[in-house]
Amino acid sequence: MLRAAFNRLVGMLTVMAIVVTIVFIIVRVTPGDPAAVMLGPDATAADVQALRQRLGLDGTIFQQFVAYIGGILRGDLGQSIFLGQPVTTALWMRAEPTFFLTLFSLGIATIIALPIGIASAYWRGSLFDQAMTAIAMFAASVPSFWLGLIFIQVFAVQFGWFPTSGYGGPYTGFVERLHHLVLPAATLGIVSSALIMRFTRASMLDVLNDDYVRTARSKGMTEWRVVVKHALKNALIPILTVVGLTAALLISGAIVTETVFALPGVGNLIVSAVLRRDYPVIQGALLIVAGLYVLINFLIDMLYLLVDPRVRY
Amino acid sequence: MNSFLKLMSAAILAGASLPAIAHAQSHGGAIDVATIGEPPTLDPMTSTADLVGIITQHMFETLYTFDGNWAVAPLLAADLPEISEDGLTYTIALRDGVTFHDGSAMTSEDVVASLERWLRIASRGLQTAEVVESVAAIDDLTVEITLSTPYAPLLSLLSLNNSAAIVIPAEIAGNDVMEDYIGTGPYQLGERRPDQFIQLTRFEDYASREEDASGYGGGRAQYLDEIRFVPVPDANTRIEGAVAGQFDYVDSIPVEAYDRIESGQTEPVMLAPFGWPVFVMNTAEGVMADLTTRKAVQAGLAPHDMLLAAFGSEEFFAAEAPMYPDSYVWHTEAGIEPYNPSGDMERAASLLAESEYDGSPVRILTSRQYEFHYTMAQVAEAYLEAAGFDVQLDVVEWATLTQRRTDPALWDIYITHSPFLPEPSLTGIMSDTSPGWWVSDAKHAALGAFNAEADPDRRVELWSAVQEVIYEEVPAFKVGNFNAVAAQSSNLEGMNPAPWPYFWNAYLAE
Repeated sequence: MLRAAFNRLVGMLTVMAIVVTIVFIIVRVTPGDPAAVMLGPDATAADVQALRQRLGLDGTIFQQFVAYIGGILRGDLGQSIFLGQPVTTALWMRAEPTFFLTLFSLGIATIIALPIGIASAYWRGSLFDQAMTAIAMFAASVPSFWLGLIFIQVFAVQFGWFPTSGYGGPYTGFVERLHHLVLPAATLGIVSSALIMRFTRASMLDVLNDDYVRTARSKGMTEWRVVVKHALKNALIPILTVVGLTAALLISGAIVTETVFALPGVGNLIVSAVLRRDYPVIQGALLIVAGLYVLINFLIDMLYLLVDPRVRY
Repeated sequence: MNSFLKLMSAAILAGASLPAIAHAQSHGGAIDVATIGEPPTLDPMTSTADLVGIITQHMFETLYTFDGNWAVAPLLAADLPEISEDGLTYTIALRDGVTFHDGSAMTSEDVVASLERWLRIASRGLQTAEVVESVAAIDDLTVEITLSTPYAPLLSLLSLNNSAAIVIPAEIAGNDVMEDYIGTGPYQLGERRPDQFIQLTRFEDYASREEDASGYGGGRAQYLDEIRFVPVPDANTRIEGAVAGQFDYVDSIPVEAYDRIESGQTEPVMLAPFGWPVFVMNTAEGVMADLTTRKAVQAGLAPHDMLLAAFGSEEFFAAEAPMYPDSYVWHTEAGIEPYNPSGDMERAASLLAESEYDGSPVRILTSRQYEFHYTMAQVAEAYLEAAGFDVQLDVVEWATLTQRRTDPALWDIYITHSPFLPEPSLTGIMSDTSPGWWVSDAKHAALGAFNAEADPDRRVELWSAVQEVIYEEVPAFKVGNFNAVAAQSSNLEGMNPAPWPYFWNAYLAE
């Protein structure tokens, strides 16, 4: 197990090194200039050049890359050009809404998808199964920004149950802040539930016809115990994989949802950083998101070892 | 201008020059103001962005500002300056008893340090620095600015709220990067959580002017305890927030949502006219460097159709040629004959035949940051192709556009817009170095005379000559005038529609 963990860890570091390099190059070769954005529409070329010098953006790409790598090795992701604060602080300040949004969305997606997926597999081919398949296809193809706007119109504007956007003001308590997350989490959760549901159904179908399920039934075990205790337990590995992948996808999926709902999370930070060309924030945020993605995959791999002793790396 | 717009303009002007609100308004309460996003900085010296000006004008103040008639009015200065007969020396007396948010008193030392910072780092300051010889403190409450040549736009430059000549404590002004946001304004920075809110709280020791309020000038009452600016970057979400009544004020709403706002819990507010879309020509390089080709573009474009496509209804625009609408003192019809709301295709084709145009693509650089830019570009493409041009639309996002437009090799026309700036010489094309790079003897003669003249009436006359040169040399094509729409809670009173909305003097009805 330790050897497997070590091998996976080396792989993770290699992936991260590639991510750091590619993100740096893409960000720098993309047209656009943070100095021009900061100075506003009426600035002249000379003003922009002067600000570039003040911001240290006038060095060669190689010099900037060396400085950036040096910073990462010291645990310093740099300073945001626009926010006037370290990138790590900017990310930390936005971690709360993104963390709870991801958690809520994953909870909603799993609560919707698991029972429906199991039921669809159990009653495969039935009207219920076909209806759920159609709904899953619809949910998977709906753009989250569109669903978000529909939710805002219905639940915030028509019924007034939730705020249309934001994460509360200076005096907003924790519970009220979570209240702001209900609509975005539902949006993201519903869109993400389709994948988990389809995987659950497929995985359950694989095991429901296995011999040990038939044996369990022949022993007179109740259908509930057969499905949940025997079939579901063995179908869990692929489901676990897709739930883990969905969690990673939700972090990047939050980019659109956070923008629509004006949530001050990591996704919103990435969007505004890209639009303003706040290079250190883009690089730092993508590094963290990629790191989380890789870490989640690592944890899933480790979980396999625990859930299924036959797994070997 | 149709009667509706006239009525709106008259209403705005009347509103903007109302005497100070009676002092029976309710004190207290906080308002939430939805803005188009997070400002790139809270240092208004370093940015010309409207959003920066809207927020920071509550925290920082300038020596002068603009009253309800867009005339320069004193703010931190005690009065308008004494200007020497040769127009080279401005002696500015400061108000006594003004304190900064940190409790220290404002003196001439702070003003000199602030103006030096402005001349060193602000776009508009750097432009002014070319004619400023010195800034000196005469005594604790008097400052003297000496110029090398008469420069009439100086007072307007000292009055603007973006790239603004704000007054801050001398020790802060010594640094190019602002870390402490200490001003003299009626509200001070409370808490800032980027992308969530910027909280401004009432500055209890604020020293308001005593005159009646007029536009940005006069007394500034602090009825509200707090103003919170909440970034809502998605326009559709801002609309829904306005309909649901979540905000007390919602800035910058697409005009097509006017009816939807009207049916909701806040009321639409129209600022008519707000500004002008403009096609800036690259006079330095490429196909538009030829004057006859630019004139062919001027003749071929049909501004009425472009505006109709962009804004949907005549309620929201006016196809008007003058650089300023008739509600401004700068309004003149001098030289506007080449502007034809429906375009003149025959004239365009004939001019094109006379021109040096060699059939190369005309590269129109635009973005969808502002959808109306893109829509106008599409209509322009159709008209210019009908006139015989080969057109290439280069649609990029805004940050790319702001970089590309600084390189004359990359574009022929780029699309932008501007509010009606109170001082015409601050308009982008007036600078020889701004993208477009319009330089000519006729421009320098007309603009030089306009900038050197101090007498306001004489300046109005001289502005006509500048407008004539603009239409003669076509450094840019002004498409027309357009309106801006915001939304306001019926509970929020004391507001006047303004290009940079302000919330001093505003209060919540009980």
